[in-house]
Amino acid sequence: MSKGKLLLLCFLFGCHFLHAQNKELLYDFTEIPQSLMLNPGMEVNYLWYAGIPTLSGISTQFGTSGVTVHDLFADDGVDFTTKVLDKVIYSMNPNDELSGGFQMEIFNGGFRGTNNPDNFYSFGMYLEGDAIAYWFKDLAILGFEGNADQLNRRFDLSHIKTRGELVNVFHFGINKRVDNKLTIGARAKIYSSLVNFNSTANTGYFVTTEGQNNFLANTLDADLAVRTSGIQELLDGDADETPGIIAKRMLFGGNLGLGLDAGLTYNLNKKTVVTVSVLDLGFIYHTKDIKSYELNGNATVEGIEFILPEVLINPSTDFWQDLVDEIEELVPFEDNDKNYISFRPTKLYGSIRHNFGERIPSRLDCDCMDIITDQNLAFQYVNSAGIQLYAINRPRGPQVALTAFYQRRFGNFLALKTTYTIDKYSFSNVGFGFNIQAGAMNFYAMADNLLAYKNIADTHYASFQLGLNIISWGKK
Amino acid sequence: MKRKFKYIFTGLVLLGMLISCIEDQDFNQFDDLSITPTIESSIIYVESPERIINLVPGLDIFSASFNFDAFNEAYFAERVLEGSITYELENTTSKELDILFEFVDEEGNSLDSEQFIVTPEPTAILQREVFYGGATGRSLDIIINTSTIRVSVANLGDNTSISSLPDPKITLKSSAKFRIRIK
Repeated sequence: MSKGKLLLLCFLFGCHFLHAQNKELLYDFTEIPQSLMLNPGMEVNYLWYAGIPTLSGISTQFGTSGVTVHDLFADDGVDFTTKVLDKVIYSMNPNDELSGGFQMEIFNGGFRGTNNPDNFYSFGMYLEGDAIAYWFKDLAILGFEGNADQLNRRFDLSHIKTRGELVNVFHFGINKRVDNKLTIGARAKIYSSLVNFNSTANTGYFVTTEGQNNFLANTLDADLAVRTSGIQELLDGDADETPGIIAKRMLFGGNLGLGLDAGLTYNLNKKTVVTVSVLDLGFIYHTKDIKSYELNGNATVEGIEFILPEVLINPSTDFWQDLVDEIEELVPFEDNDKNYISFRPTKLYGSIRHNFGERIPSRLDCDCMDIITDQNLAFQYVNSAGIQLYAINRPRGPQVALTAFYQRRFGNFLALKTTYTIDKYSFSNVGFGFNIQAGAMNFYAMADNLLAYKNIADTHYASFQLGLNIISWGKK
Repeated sequence: MKRKFKYIFTGLVLLGMLISCIEDQDFNQFDDLSITPTIESSIIYVESPERIINLVPGLDIFSASFNFDAFNEAYFAERVLEGSITYELENTTSKELDILFEFVDEEGNSLDSEQFIVTPEPTAILQREVFYGGATGRSLDIIINTSTIRVSVANLGDNTSISSLPDPKITLKSSAKFRIRIK
């Protein structure tokens, strides 16, 4: 296998171990331009910003809701097969998952409108990978134990549920301050998919029952499908061509789609703020390099049946081959290149934030401390605390996370944010992030689930985000 | 300003390094993973009503060879560890019957056989389990070299009598149960 193919497979496999895309530390961190990507209706007070190409926004998250690396590979003297059986095969359930995502901004920028300074425009391009695989419990048990002594037990094929993609996103957003209380925003996106695979609508079962004639009857009732795009050309092609293929697909040469982000920020009063945003409300229409596989049908087998006098009609029949042919006819395994649509994993954020403590001198090109009034609400305070809600649409329904946060600002130079998040992965997820504004240079870094850092191998979830930007508030 | 930035960043990195650690992991354990499922399936079912037996003059009622590639499929043959084949015969005819179940390789050589002599009705169901592999079973080579199963039925009785039981017939059921090593 060539290095290119190996890298691709590693990537696809690796995506399975990455976590969903909750960026609770970055959300509503208004000092950081990349927060605008999480809420196009965020309050923005920059004149313009420019991300350092490829360094302005890098994030990756990984985790699992079931077993951890430490559970399996701890050097504890316990037999490895026993650990796999106890902690994976029998302990994990079909809602457990391995999932995740990464994002890397290629470029990102924004500027305030000159004719209408209430408008702020942002644009950019980023590469995003996202994948999820649910635990195929019944198939794993079937693989480990087999079907012997499992009479009448139905092995559920719907446990096979996975999807993933690698997509390049071009975006353009408008953020508008409607009045002192309300800021709204929307972002249009064009997706150029590099790779996509999904197998999410599977049904069926495999069961061994008492046979009508013979001892046992094995029944397969399957409606399974795996749809892929963008994979075959990479697997079949020359490794030297891979960079060119990827570059072409990133620049509108992939399977294209459209999407929309929308959000708002509303100041309930001078210290309390609510925000809502919905991200990636969109789809991709796959028409290129498609390879899909289907297994659809129902067959029950009791072995070869030789019943006289019927078989005497054609005594030279190859009963074994007939049986194989019959199964293949009843449950055909087929591939096709039909176009298909995949929907993006839509995300929803919401928050309520209470600001308190001293007000922070503004960076705007005015002596704003002198004109602060109760009507001019969009000012930052030293402290903020609140609650955030996150939900993402997944093949087995929405996943939700609830976050409590506290944010502390040290002048206009440093801002810190700490979060406590509850979700299906962890009840002890404490995160920490900081933003440093050194003149025009903006640097931020944040990491999640810090308590798990005492033994990273035992974490269900770890993530980091960082970025480097240049921000201008205009001349003082 | 730059100095502040450097100090804070360095401090945070050092703090992260101080609080983070990883206990010893032994990834070579994966080599010890053992996956050995036991699979079970019917093999062959043979049925002959008494009226057909009566139609065939002489001793041999029929002898049929079935191409059977399930056992010598590479995936199975290379992984099989041990197992058994179970037979069940039921004779509700009025004749004593001699049934021979043979495992035959590609060259037509008989590798192994099971013979059943079943008395006329009324008779109990005859069941037999034959083990292959392991410490006491017959050689697994028999199983993995089998490409044909031959079933022969001989009538040790007459061609005229009729059983008093409803729907008289001879039936042979068989199933295989084998443990294989996937990993």
